[in-house]
Amino acid sequence: MVSALPADTLQPVELADGVEIHLRVAGPAARSVAWLLDLILFIALILVLLLLVSVIGPGLGEQTAQGLFLLGLFFLSWFYNVFFEMGKRAATPGQRFMGLKVASVSGAPVRWPQSIIRNLLRVIDFMPGCYLFGLMCCLFTRRFQRLGDLVADTVVIYADVRPSKAKPSLSPEAAAYLTEPVAPPTALSRAEQAALLQFLERAPHWSEARRIELADVIEPLTGRSGPAGLRRAQGMALWLQNGGQSTPSAPRS
Amino acid sequence: MTPAQFEKENEGRWERLQTLLEGVEAGNSKTMPDAAELPQLFRQTCHDLSVAQHRMYGPRLVGRLNALAIHGYRVLERRISGGWERLAMLVFMEFPRSFRRERGLFLFCMSLFWLPFLFLAIWTPFDPEWAMSILGPDGMIQLEQMYGSGTSPYDYMREEFGSNFGMFAFYIWNNVGIGLRTFAGGLLGGVGSIFFLVFNGASIGAATGYVHHACNPETFYSFVAGHSAPELLGIVISGMAGMRLGLSLVKPGQYDRKTSLVLGGRSALVLIAGASVMIACAAVIEGFWSANPFPPLVRYSVGGVVWLLTLGYLFFSGKERVHAA
Repeated sequence: MVSALPADTLQPVELADGVEIHLRVAGPAARSVAWLLDLILFIALILVLLLLVSVIGPGLGEQTAQGLFLLGLFFLSWFYNVFFEMGKRAATPGQRFMGLKVASVSGAPVRWPQSIIRNLLRVIDFMPGCYLFGLMCCLFTRRFQRLGDLVADTVVIYADVRPSKAKPSLSPEAAAYLTEPVAPPTALSRAEQAALLQFLERAPHWSEARRIELADVIEPLTGRSGPAGLRRAQGMALWLQNGGQSTPSAPRS
Repeated sequence: MTPAQFEKENEGRWERLQTLLEGVEAGNSKTMPDAAELPQLFRQTCHDLSVAQHRMYGPRLVGRLNALAIHGYRVLERRISGGWERLAMLVFMEFPRSFRRERGLFLFCMSLFWLPFLFLAIWTPFDPEWAMSILGPDGMIQLEQMYGSGTSPYDYMREEFGSNFGMFAFYIWNNVGIGLRTFAGGLLGGVGSIFFLVFNGASIGAATGYVHHACNPETFYSFVAGHSAPELLGIVISGMAGMRLGLSLVKPGQYDRKTSLVLGGRSALVLIAGASVMIACAAVIEGFWSANPFPPLVRYSVGGVVWLLTLGYLFFSGKERVHAA
């Protein structure tokens, strides 16, 4: 059997504490936009530097000012990213705007040596132009790592993994279908159970028509179509959520 | 147990962990006596996460616990850098040691750099065609202005850069940049580093040969004597760092390629960091010392001392002591 490929970019990482956490890895599209924003900021910084140098230039002597500019250019072009990645948010302004950040593959904060390596090797990722090597490498690695990321053992992830604390408000129409918990006619596998449970949790966010359309997919299980099938599917999910009982169980101690 | 019950029962613990984490992150861990609870709370929450994952308590609850576990992990795992002591260790022990560990790469990169250098430096006075094509007309004019009879590099440099600081900044930007690129090129299986080493060796060799052919060698040698040691060895060590990276990709040995690359990157970083500092030191010497009009004898002796210091540092600093059994 072919194992199903995940449809999302969640990457499991096992911590030393034996628990598995999931990092949401960022793909090339989001990273490219972040890079473009950084490029704009980078050019703006260079222009500011030029302006500054031309203002203080006459006082210091033309050549000294030019030297200052070259020094600034050197540090900006090699260490712009390192500077921001070692900050509190571990992200450049562009990445911050896109909600991204840099982290170790293990989920730990990125460290100095890692940040320096991944940014020195940016030159190679850029080759032969417009990050072609980096893009190819991103597309062929499981965690969307460019070459520099591979060497430094880092990933770019979505920073805000905190979901909203508020429970999804159950719209009245959705609540109408939440009837009695019903036991499924056959034993369900874990994946099937998970699918039903996720359906129950996410259903309130969809339109009525979409909910019914999705419930129709499992018509062989529910044995009905249309609103009745939806009611049945949600009933089965509710039954699973209650731990396989028709009524919510009392807390076991 | 339903997700709601599970959440209700453990809510207090998660809230407490969240508050503690935010407090520690805000930097007042010293004033928070409760911070000692953190590891235990974190482990319990990790356990809750496993339970929630196993019982399929839905993406919302699992997502929340996942975020909390990541947050806790990040706070508990953050490392405090070693400060000045760590830096001194790096400069006086780790870098020279990892340099000496790469004896084979040192010989390889030295020959990649010095063979083209020596060939062109010796061959050019007899047949300047090759050197001319490497240097190009601009390069030849510049060399003649700097080291030609009747001129001195000091006048030229003053004219070109105006100040010592301007020269220093130019050398940082240009030379350290070359070193870093030589390192990065190593990722292409070492090919990039080899190219940069040979190319730099050849162009410096061509310049030396051309000076012998058309200019005044004494001016040239007395100018470069001071900064040549850290600069030339720095470029060679950049090449070694790049080759370490390239070799870990081409010849991973007993590791898989990915792990080998990560390990190679770690040891290469120490080398390239040291090499960059060496080239930066050369820029300081070149900017603030080499362009001052001292008599050649003084300059040669200073150059000799710098060579001795550089070699002594690389080969003897932080020398591993052999303990008698």
